[in-house]
Amino acid sequence: MSVPALEVRGLVKHYPGVKALDGVDLVVQQNEVLGLAGENGAGKSTLLKALVGLVAPDAGSIYVRGEPVRLRSVVDAANHGIGMVFQEQSLVPNLTAAENIVLGSEGPAVRRGVYRWEVMRRLAQEQLDKIGSPIDPLARTDSLSFADRQMVEIAKVLRIEERTQHPPVVILDEPTSVLESKEIDTLFAQIRRLREFATVIFVSHRLDEVLDVCDRVSVLRGGQSVGEVATAGAVPRELHRMMIGSTGSDDHYHENAAATVGSEQPRLSVRGLSGTTFQDISFDVAPGEIVSIVGVHGSGREDVCRALFGAEPTTAGEIRMDGKKIDLPSTRAACAAGIGYVPAERKLEGMVGAMSVAENMTLAKQQARCAGPFVAPKKQATLVDSWIRRLSIRTPGRDTAIQRLSGGNQQKVVLARWLVAGDIRLLLLDHPTRGLDIGARSEVYRLMRELAATGVATVLLADSLEEAIGMADRILVMNDGRVATEVACPNGAKPSPLDLVKEMV
Amino acid sequence: MSTAVALKPTQRLTGFMPLIALAALVAALTIADPDFLTQRSLIAVARTAAPLIVLAAGATLVVLCGGIDLSIAALASLSTVFLALWLPDLGGLATPAVILVAATIGAVQGVAHVLLRIPSFIVTLGGMSILSAVALVVSGAGTVRVVDDSTVRWLDLYLAGYVPMSAAMAIIVVALIAVVLKVTPLRSWISATGYSESAARLAGTPVDLVKIGAFCVSGACAGLAAVMLVSRQFSGGPTMADNLLLPAVAAIVVGGTAITGGHGSVWRSLAGALVVTLLRVGLPIVGVPSAYEQILYGAIIVVAVALTLDRSKVSTVK
Amino acid sequence: MTVTSEVVNAPRRQSRRGASFRDAGPPVALIVIFLIFAALSPQFRSTDNVQNIVDAAAVLAVVTCGITFVLMMGSIDLSAAGVMGACALTVSLLVANNRNDNDFGLLGIAVAVLLGCAFGCVSGLALVLLKVPSFMATLGMSAVGLGVATLMFAGVQPNISDTMVKGLAIERFLGFSYLTWIAAVCILVGWLIQRYTRLGRYAFAIGGAEEVLLLSGVKVNPYKVAVFALAGAFYGLGGVMVTSQLGAGLVQAGDGYDFSAITAAVVGGTLLTGGRGGILHSAVGVMLVMVLTNGLVQIGVSPYWQGGVEGLIVVAAVAAAVIPQRRRNQVVK
Repeated sequence: MSVPALEVRGLVKHYPGVKALDGVDLVVQQNEVLGLAGENGAGKSTLLKALVGLVAPDAGSIYVRGEPVRLRSVVDAANHGIGMVFQEQSLVPNLTAAENIVLGSEGPAVRRGVYRWEVMRRLAQEQLDKIGSPIDPLARTDSLSFADRQMVEIAKVLRIEERTQHPPVVILDEPTSVLESKEIDTLFAQIRRLREFATVIFVSHRLDEVLDVCDRVSVLRGGQSVGEVATAGAVPRELHRMMIGSTGSDDHYHENAAATVGSEQPRLSVRGLSGTTFQDISFDVAPGEIVSIVGVHGSGREDVCRALFGAEPTTAGEIRMDGKKIDLPSTRAACAAGIGYVPAERKLEGMVGAMSVAENMTLAKQQARCAGPFVAPKKQATLVDSWIRRLSIRTPGRDTAIQRLSGGNQQKVVLARWLVAGDIRLLLLDHPTRGLDIGARSEVYRLMRELAATGVATVLLADSLEEAIGMADRILVMNDGRVATEVACPNGAKPSPLDLVKEMV
Repeated sequence: MSTAVALKPTQRLTGFMPLIALAALVAALTIADPDFLTQRSLIAVARTAAPLIVLAAGATLVVLCGGIDLSIAALASLSTVFLALWLPDLGGLATPAVILVAATIGAVQGVAHVLLRIPSFIVTLGGMSILSAVALVVSGAGTVRVVDDSTVRWLDLYLAGYVPMSAAMAIIVVALIAVVLKVTPLRSWISATGYSESAARLAGTPVDLVKIGAFCVSGACAGLAAVMLVSRQFSGGPTMADNLLLPAVAAIVVGGTAITGGHGSVWRSLAGALVVTLLRVGLPIVGVPSAYEQILYGAIIVVAVALTLDRSKVSTVK
Repeated sequence: MTVTSEVVNAPRRQSRRGASFRDAGPPVALIVIFLIFAALSPQFRSTDNVQNIVDAAAVLAVVTCGITFVLMMGSIDLSAAGVMGACALTVSLLVANNRNDNDFGLLGIAVAVLLGCAFGCVSGLALVLLKVPSFMATLGMSAVGLGVATLMFAGVQPNISDTMVKGLAIERFLGFSYLTWIAAVCILVGWLIQRYTRLGRYAFAIGGAEEVLLLSGVKVNPYKVAVFALAGAFYGLGGVMVTSQLGAGLVQAGDGYDFSAITAAVVGGTLLTGGRGGILHSAVGVMLVMVLTNGLVQIGVSPYWQGGVEGLIVVAAVAAAVIPQRRRNQVVK
């Protein structure tokens, strides 16, 4: 066989608190379509970023056609013939399609800073012709449909052909996640066409697609390559098992500590809730119960969660807490109603990095550290120290800036924020273990169990299906902004991930 | 305050920047003119600094929330006109009335910023233009003389014979704001809003109210500064305080309050205001034409902002 | 997957509709306001007054040309007043005047424009090198400009005697003053830059999606500095034009033009967030502001209100542009 188009050996990348890549190996042959599969957090996106020069790996090496390379930027990667179609599209919306296609390497289309629109149109048309797209190159990008814009991106990536004599490597990151089925068919036709003169790496969380379009699939898990499968004759079930792996340690999810779910009145009762991205959502959560909402990217589950915290507007429906109807015009109203929210983006939305552990912990429940309208320093010290002990938060002290703590300890402080006043009734956890290592995850799970045991109701948007199944008493599957089905998830009779996946897509 | 823990090395240096600058300036001026360290000139500095301190202290709150208030000087000018016009009728009540009106105008700008989601510098830039127009119209574009200044003259008196009353008032205002922030949850709320508005909101902080409050206090301070100006000049004028905008902004950023929000304090602005005043008073002493004053303000603002801003927050600066 | 694609499509459809509304809105408003004032005031609709409005718009149009490029990037420029003051003094001291024996004529004008360019350059460098937000950097530069102007003024007003410079404001060609023709040329040049040069297109793109440019390997910083320098050159020319109108160099030559220009650009449909609008939009905005202020004076409103009217319309225009895209939890500084 000829030299591989691209080869990755033992790639390692650390982020504070996590090992995103832990010695990944990958071989991509010329003119093949390689699928890359893995759960959220398996290291897919970090690997891709390393391949286009957006992330500098800590160790390991990348070979392009047998030559070791160090990729410093997207341009650098393009010079080596590697280009990527990004998940969130990377086009300038207010420029024309032609300008986007030639952006950064206009060549003869711009002479001495002056545009030659006709040349530019021709250059862009050449690229669009390669993929047989009928788009008008001089159309403004934001007037094109999403699928058309994706074609523009592919046309843009294919310009790297002009920088090397070799066939390019085109990476497609989750290209189908927001396309309709007809558009997906067109895209797949494009990918097959691309294979004639290029090498393609295709990333998708939808296994049926991966098996459909790829020649070979490489599976990542926990930052490592766990196997390769030729797609001819492969079964989705087998691939899925590789992605998920064994459940690991025996009681990772502390299932023995699962609380008994109260059967009386539901703590949270949602009826017909609708907003911009979700319609007619109805479900109950009992005191002590953990309900997980699962769904693919774009299913609307994050927005439901935020709507329950008053951070997203709703257009219809009602929310009841312990039988009492509540209005949530603002996050403050939600706090007052005993609802707590742990956002997915901890560093941006969860914590105020420059402020101290104590201030972060008491931010939502100021009354817990105040006597009357005044802050009582002693009361605050006792309170914060007791929670630092109870949650075994490792910090030099309560006055340390929270940004100096490790991810797991930061998350515990953010969680503690809702507990300090002892009035929490419902916790909304949006990917509470994102970016945490195994040990920290386990501690967060234990904490969730303890809270459930005290009667706190929990809505969990899990990082992985495995986590959802492990933690939840009941699972709500969302699809296209609606509740597709509800699956009981009791200890000892857990559903299989595949059953859930079927409902998700 | 616990925010001090979060200081990075560069911030630790800028933390002392206003004090170092202050000491260096005093030293330099004393060398240039041995008469500078006399009671008379120090009193003059304190009197000149007072309105500036008050203006800067109020606007600091807005900056701490991550915004900016460019209308303070125009609002102070308008307030001098109001005060001069109302003194004959309202007498002693004119002062609180003016401060109340100024606070309301500040709050209205805050509401416009929060509800209409317009960037604060545009709201206050528009506000500046509107307030100047109102001041021109109300005053007939001329100076309004105060005939009977008995009710505001107390500000022009001396405490214990030496300390100008206006300077004492300015310090009291700064101390009051600082203490209220320190002993209530307000400090946490303001810092959280300034450092990371979305995180603050998702922790249930009343972000909108905090911002409106900051603009309200900023307005009230502009009103008080106007009272001080009238008590010194025995008149009000539609552009009387306009030239205080740059010194006030300079005072805030020289003090080390980050324009990106969160980090800073009103004490820093007090130090910054003294630095700015010393520069203003000192330039003629060392023989530099006062025209350089403006150039200096401009340079100081750019340099001080560059030194104090939170670079982790500004990946793309517009 | 239908719903998700709807989610992605929805805002786009909205913005397209919004764009056409924004593009048609200002010209329609201009016509409507013009007709209203014409109906209210016979003086307003006189040929003389219309000529007046157009002539009076010349300086503002030139300044707005400059600021439009800055706004297109999503930055802002508050330095116009200071730069214009400095350039006004520079030109008045370089052409024939009562303070010195200089008589450089056109060369003097060129030097003033270059000085404006240099001021803009410094603002841009403060932005890209020191990462000082543009409103702060340009506020500082405005003060520097006023200081430089005061230094040059030195207590004695330089009255110009250069007939060429003075004539620009007085002499007419086809019914309009030369200044108006200069403004028209500026608008044309600005439009050509915006449409046909990399500088103009990149300024537009920086406002649209700066991170995409960076990702594509475009070094945006030189373009940012160049845009501020270009804007400065326009302010410099504006300063020269004011000097020609006044017959003297004044520190306050640019007073109020900074804010009026922002008003005109914003009213014309240029978004403060960048990436939308352009020179032609701004030209319409300039006429809107001029018609409005002139019309109000003609129907008997005190001219002192001019700034107030501008303040109100800038806030209203920005709010109108922002409200359709409002989200809960949005961060506005």
